[in-house]
Amino acid sequence: MTLLPPTLAEPGRFSETERWIFIALAAASLTLFWLRFGPILANILQSKKDADFHLRPIGRRVWDFVWEVMLQAKVIRQRPLAGVAHAFVFWAFCAFAMVTLNHCATIFGSGFLNPRSTAGRFYDYFAAAFAVGCALGIAGLFVRRFLVRPKWLGALSWESGLIALLIFVLMVTYLGAFFMPNSGAGMRALWWAHTLTLLYLLPVIPETKHLHLVLSPFTVFLSRGGFSRIPPLAGDEDFGLVAGKDLTQLVSLQAYSCVECGRCTEHCPANHTGKTLNPKQVILGVRAYLNDCGPESAEPLLGKYNSQEAAFQCTTCGACEFQCPVGIEHLPIIVGLRRGAVNTGAWEDEHGGKLFLALERGSNALGLSAAERDKFVEKNALPIFDGTQEYCLWLGCMGGYDPKGREIVLALVQVMRRLGVSFGVLRKEKCTGDPVRRLGNDLLFQQLAEANLETLKRGQVKKIVSICPHCVRTIQEDWKEFGAAPRIEHHSEFLARHLGQLTPVQSQKKIVFHDPCYLGRYRGVYDEPRAVVSHAGRLVEAPRSGERSFCCGAGGGLAFLGEEKGERVSHARARELAATGAEIVGAACPFCNTMFRDALAAQGRGAPELLDIAQLAAQGLPAKSAI
Amino acid sequence: MKIVVAIKQVPERDAPVRIAANGKWIEETDLQYAMNEPDAYALEEALQLKEKYGGEVVVVSAGPERVGTVIREALAKGADRGFHIVGDDVAGRDALGVARLLATAVRAESPDLVLTGLQSEDVGMGQTGVIVAALLGLPHATLILQVEKSQAGVKVKRELEEGWFQSIELPTPAVLTIQSGGTKLRYATLMGIKRAKTKEVRTVKAADLGVDAAPVVALEEMKLPKKQKSTQILPGSAKEAAAALVEKLKFEVRVL
Ligand code: SF4
Ligand code: SF4
Repeated sequence: MTLLPPTLAEPGRFSETERWIFIALAAASLTLFWLRFGPILANILQSKKDADFHLRPIGRRVWDFVWEVMLQAKVIRQRPLAGVAHAFVFWAFCAFAMVTLNHCATIFGSGFLNPRSTAGRFYDYFAAAFAVGCALGIAGLFVRRFLVRPKWLGALSWESGLIALLIFVLMVTYLGAFFMPNSGAGMRALWWAHTLTLLYLLPVIPETKHLHLVLSPFTVFLSRGGFSRIPPLAGDEDFGLVAGKDLTQLVSLQAYSCVECGRCTEHCPANHTGKTLNPKQVILGVRAYLNDCGPESAEPLLGKYNSQEAAFQCTTCGACEFQCPVGIEHLPIIVGLRRGAVNTGAWEDEHGGKLFLALERGSNALGLSAAERDKFVEKNALPIFDGTQEYCLWLGCMGGYDPKGREIVLALVQVMRRLGVSFGVLRKEKCTGDPVRRLGNDLLFQQLAEANLETLKRGQVKKIVSICPHCVRTIQEDWKEFGAAPRIEHHSEFLARHLGQLTPVQSQKKIVFHDPCYLGRYRGVYDEPRAVVSHAGRLVEAPRSGERSFCCGAGGGLAFLGEEKGERVSHARARELAATGAEIVGAACPFCNTMFRDALAAQGRGAPELLDIAQLAAQGLPAKSAI
Repeated sequence: MKIVVAIKQVPERDAPVRIAANGKWIEETDLQYAMNEPDAYALEEALQLKEKYGGEVVVVSAGPERVGTVIREALAKGADRGFHIVGDDVAGRDALGVARLLATAVRAESPDLVLTGLQSEDVGMGQTGVIVAALLGLPHATLILQVEKSQAGVKVKRELEEGWFQSIELPTPAVLTIQSGGTKLRYATLMGIKRAKTKEVRTVKAADLGVDAAPVVALEEMKLPKKQKSTQILPGSAKEAAAALVEKLKFEVRVL
């Protein structure tokens, strides 16, 4: 044993004075930590209870915790290099929990990791391996932050540098012991250097973004779950996020957990195209509010701390929520702020007001007469659903009223007829309420959801298929609050299942597929539409695709609002899609379709053709089966 | 300023209208109802006046039970009180009959202004507001787009034909019938609906008001317009077709 190098766990005997100094410093460090952390914890705990919070299913929580916290999978997946570096730092912290306890115990001569026992030795070396990883990792992260300087990390913060330095010193002092002569004064100096660094680091944590060390494991474990899940309003005085009193414990916990990594902003289409909206700032705005006003304040949340303009620039694409490594759920917060503004009438917008009035008085978001839909159904001899058919074909506002949307419906109808699958459309249909849901108009959303649920129930509908990912999401998830809806699927899922029965199109045309946010991130459907595309040509991928797809700009009710500030999101995306050199842009959402129609035309000559996957699937059909 | 707004409930714009069995009215079962649009503008004008000058907005509506929903809607948008004249026969009354009912309610409130829509979206007689003014002996103005307070009473902007406007002043109390589109309507909010629950709605039976229900106008019959297709395709080259079109527009349709 004596041949092995010594460790920091055997610093020799300490004097009584040293012990008292340690006790005093440790007490000061812990007190300072608590003075800073206590008010934060109080703000979180004093926030309103989350009305719909359920600990169950616990399995999902445990899995998220293991996957996102323990394995750091999300961090690594989204930014591999920095992610691995971060993972090493994190794992080292875990490994060091025991080392640190033991470290403090040694001054009282009661270290429990006996360096002379095999187990103790083993643990010391085990931790040393992590310390090496951590030291390298933190050095790498330091270089990245201060020399590479990715834009999304925001302004340089000296605190981050300080923390990196402290962590580095902790590791180096631990590793240094292995090269020390046994238990001499040098070793004691090292022990003290390690200890002082540790005691200095502790109170720095709660007042910097390193608070996530303490909070984010809870944030991930306690997350609301689901994606972009909008909580139900609780009671007669809940109108969404109006003021501090409306912030729930989960919202406050999340606001304090943000590590300011900027992943959300890096992927935000609004921020990318020159809008005011910055999802990271939304979260930090809530945090600043809590720090200044507290969770019981009546000061409006929109105003000094977050801007109404920004809140209504969000396309609800969900990229931010999807990316966030600490489990922050942006959409319930952004939509919550909108609810607060709309449900109290504080939001005034010419186009928004028009949309609301159109849906208060009529049936569709386009503000057209329902007779237009009747005419379309009649003209194309679409069968009326009477309970005998297998599918109810949900037209939606775009499918029922928009000329291009109708073409998509007709292409799908052509395929369904070819396959011999029976279907019918409803005689009457109202907007699912998707745009008003995302804009925060709960009154209208409830009315629309209830009216539609009633129609579906009366029609005894069991299975729905729709060309619109927004309809699919809203019917399946958002209506739950008001009743059980029939099973619904997107036409990409339907088409993919039946591809075997359709003759492939003999074409080598390059087709780039654009993942709609509400199909990909919201529903997790990525492969089915690609299968349909591959059936009709050669699939190519855009630089941002799959779960990182870049929004078309239509979501969140924005398709119905006026001209955007800055560049149009649809143009930015259309440019990217056209640059792949594809001859066709494959879409799977009538809203994306309408956004890209103009945006692709603006790309000038040689811009790719725009087709929905239903149209791609119908291409292979013999012309005779045309309807 | 105390303002009474008279509101009518009419079938929703997209409602499928069928003629009732007796051929004198439409089939009411399964019909969805909404606030008459010009009345919605009258309400909006009243709410804006209240926001500017203070005061109270009282809505009054005559009709069966279901009319309660438009009163609630008006309260949700910001009106202070409601007045419901309950009667199942209101749709069958002529404009004078309805105006008599409304006039009793208005008299009870003695407001500074009475606003109502220029006409209803269903029968579109455009008389009720004016008759109310006559019954109460009040000055009135029609086709109003804007209202503001003035020394004499109110100054209003009227819409004339062909893009002309007229500005006039009236002493108050007065009756104004409001044209659609003069201002932007506000949307209904959840908070408004919740707050409306605690607002007062007085109900009075139409029969108890002691007004004469005998119609002076008799409704003969109600019919749906006939659908007719009279598309004509003009054959020949573009030039020939254009010549034929001019011919028709000049002599058949007489619009040129
Ligand atoms: S949902 Fe999309 S648009 Fe909205 S803040 Fe997040 S990333 Fe930006
Ligand atoms: S909200 Fe999440 S993704 Fe955005 S900066 Fe904070 S921790 Fe990073």
